[in-house]
Amino acid sequence: MKRISRRDFLRYTGFGLTGLAAQQFLIACGGKPEEISGSMEASKSPSATNGLPTSVASATDSIPTSVVSATATIRKDYPYLVVAHGEQPEEMVRQGIKALGGMERYMKSGADVIIKPNICVGYNAPEFASTTNPWVVGALVKLCLEAGAKRVRVMDYPFGGTAEQCYRISGIEEQVIAAGGSMEVMQAIKYVEMDIPNAVSLKKTKVYQDILNADLLINVPIAKDHSMAKLTLGMKNLMGVIRNREAIHPSFERNLVDLATLVRPHLTIIDAIRTLMDHGPTGGDLDDVKVQNTLIFSPDIVAADAYATRLFDMTPEDIRYIQAAAERGLGMADLSGLKIEEISV
Amino acid sequence: MSRNWQITRKTLQAISLVVFVLTLVFSKDSAFPPMLTSSLVHLSPLAMLSNLFSSKFFLSGSLLSLVILLSSLVVGRAWCGWLCPMGTLLDVFNFSKLRIRKNLPQAFRKIKYILLIVTLVSAILGNLTLLVFDPITIFIRSITLVIWPLLDKGVFFLETLLIKVPFLSEPVFALDAWMRPRIFPIESSIYQYAALFGVFLMVILLLNLIAERFWCRYLCPLGALLGLGSRLSLIQRRLNSNCVECGLCGKDCPTGTIDVKNGYQSDPAECTLCMDCAGTCTKSAFAFTLKWEAAKKQSYDPGRRLFISTIGASVVAVVLLRMGWIKKTANSFLLLPPGVQDEDKFLSTCVRCGICIQVCPTQAIQADLSLSGIERMATPILVPRKGYCAYTCNICGQNCPVQAIPTLSLEEKRLTKIGTASINQSRCIAWGEHGNCIVCEEMCPLPHKAISLEQKIFTQASGDAVEVLLPIVDEDACIGCGICENKCPVEGEAAIRVQLI
Repeated sequence: MKRISRRDFLRYTGFGLTGLAAQQFLIACGGKPEEISGSMEASKSPSATNGLPTSVASATDSIPTSVVSATATIRKDYPYLVVAHGEQPEEMVRQGIKALGGMERYMKSGADVIIKPNICVGYNAPEFASTTNPWVVGALVKLCLEAGAKRVRVMDYPFGGTAEQCYRISGIEEQVIAAGGSMEVMQAIKYVEMDIPNAVSLKKTKVYQDILNADLLINVPIAKDHSMAKLTLGMKNLMGVIRNREAIHPSFERNLVDLATLVRPHLTIIDAIRTLMDHGPTGGDLDDVKVQNTLIFSPDIVAADAYATRLFDMTPEDIRYIQAAAERGLGMADLSGLKIEEISV
Repeated sequence: MSRNWQITRKTLQAISLVVFVLTLVFSKDSAFPPMLTSSLVHLSPLAMLSNLFSSKFFLSGSLLSLVILLSSLVVGRAWCGWLCPMGTLLDVFNFSKLRIRKNLPQAFRKIKYILLIVTLVSAILGNLTLLVFDPITIFIRSITLVIWPLLDKGVFFLETLLIKVPFLSEPVFALDAWMRPRIFPIESSIYQYAALFGVFLMVILLLNLIAERFWCRYLCPLGALLGLGSRLSLIQRRLNSNCVECGLCGKDCPTGTIDVKNGYQSDPAECTLCMDCAGTCTKSAFAFTLKWEAAKKQSYDPGRRLFISTIGASVVAVVLLRMGWIKKTANSFLLLPPGVQDEDKFLSTCVRCGICIQVCPTQAIQADLSLSGIERMATPILVPRKGYCAYTCNICGQNCPVQAIPTLSLEEKRLTKIGTASINQSRCIAWGEHGNCIVCEEMCPLPHKAISLEQKIFTQASGDAVEVLLPIVDEDACIGCGICENKCPVEGEAAIRVQLI
């Protein structure tokens, strides 16, 4: 029998009442209450327990029910993973998303979208590849708005410098604003301490609630060198949604995978246009940057990470957290047999 | 007529207080040019004069304080009654209902002159410690270290309650998003010694219980400085023959300078021109008139003997400080703000205003109290465990009103050595426990990292071999920004600490 502290009791009671109130309100408005509660429930009980994802729909099962039903009607022959090569980021994003079935496959009109790039520090301009390519992020904002998103917010929780400095210096703020999105400084008040069900190591952590509640969460990491993880890719980018990031490092792989069971981006796009090959994750020397002109798209974060290892002359077996995530059913690390579409833009 | 004057004064006081606080709190967001933030300190003739004496360097910004100083020749201590934020705070926390009315001897008014002389003489000898008693620095320090963080915690607590109410959560989130990081930090911790600085402010406020504006009457060295000029003030309160000695005016005088024994005359060196007395007089028995006439000498005015003995005492005090009796003790963990190279020069330039503490976005800069003795009280030091000196930031030097922290470009600051990190191997997760942790290396902002990782295989007690990445500091490359110490996941004291080598 797990003991519930008074605070948690009050909090959950608060959630419950809020949910009930919201449901009543929505029913009164003639809306569909399951759209609201659906995303919350889904993100609270990730598919980790359901075994391996066998289709796109199950890999993206935290999409609100109405969207999932939409995905059920899509052609089954969409690729599992798309790799775009080219030199124009915006066009690569457009073609890549199109090949994956279009943004409409992942969201419906009026959706509340959050894009989570890697804006870990504010030390360097975008060409140093310590932060996600701003034009990629900008293009995603445009695509979401074109698909009818109610609002598109872009956020990260930097560790080096203030969020505002990092947003500005990374160049992301400029592109996001120009595209019609907004930058959100992650507010302390929106973090809620959460239990991670079925966690092996990270049983509790403070998570940014909006990230869990978004109708569509797009994870846009930049592929970089990292001394411990070897590479920082999609899953490692999730560390930006929790408060106490440093505590994750001891027993890193287990903690990271535990986090990945809770935070389930609907789409992961790995920016490998310019990759940081050494002195990551902060960087600062252009000699460490390799131009690869590649973007990887997949609703399966593990598969996207697994593919990205190739760009560093590694295999998914080299990266322990990718293996661990696959073993726990979070996605596919073995890419053989998956439908992968490579496009040149 | 006099009512209008009072309303005008109170309005001006309120505006001054609000402008002061807003300028201060918005400086965190760099919303205003550094010149404006600095000007808060440039207002104080005491701080600027002391700085000039001590650093032997004239700052153009200090011309602002000259305006205040010269104003005393025209309007006396109107600064104290009309503009000084500390004075206004004392009016707000007047405690008039609770006051224990005690007739203190007039001679107490001497204290502020003694404080003034000691401050200025030690400044000439290169010591600025006593500027902790400058009301402007007290005010800035109190807002920065005590009042604003308390308000921040209070607001945050209130927000956490309000978001539980369903229809309020969205507006509260929106409000929070507006406030942070604009006027409150995203994440805040309590400043070190905040409680002691809070007590300092409380004492000054609580002295109001003994006498109204106790601080201004008896203690304020800035008031004393302006008081000297006020003796020659053009505008003074002057009695005429209408006075029937009813005593009404004396009752309400906030500085208690309307003296019965003196036939209800007042001392312009004490009068703040608040106009409260004008409201009570029914006979128009006095007026604030323009006349070039020096004030009468008072019993408590600093005489030659006081001057000489005080000067003597201050010299002795400073010499004692210098001799090491209560001088700073060597502490290799005492880090100075970025770019400060010569500690003695820094101590004889810094006016203890606390602007750098206010603007530092990471709370890396803290007010010192205990590390190194009395001389450094309230000077800024860098405490990496509280906050790291961000590689993105050079704001402290830009905002320092007296250039005690040099203005550095971001490129310069990135090359400026604050200290050197060193690893305590017995505390370190990797070295001590052969665990997985590379946080210090990961955090190091230098393009080629001042911390490298050496891969080593250890055999555990169980016989298993573990591969461990051991962090090693490159002491020449390290700039001592302290992000490694700040983020070190070891509980309590970090396993990697920045110190002066």
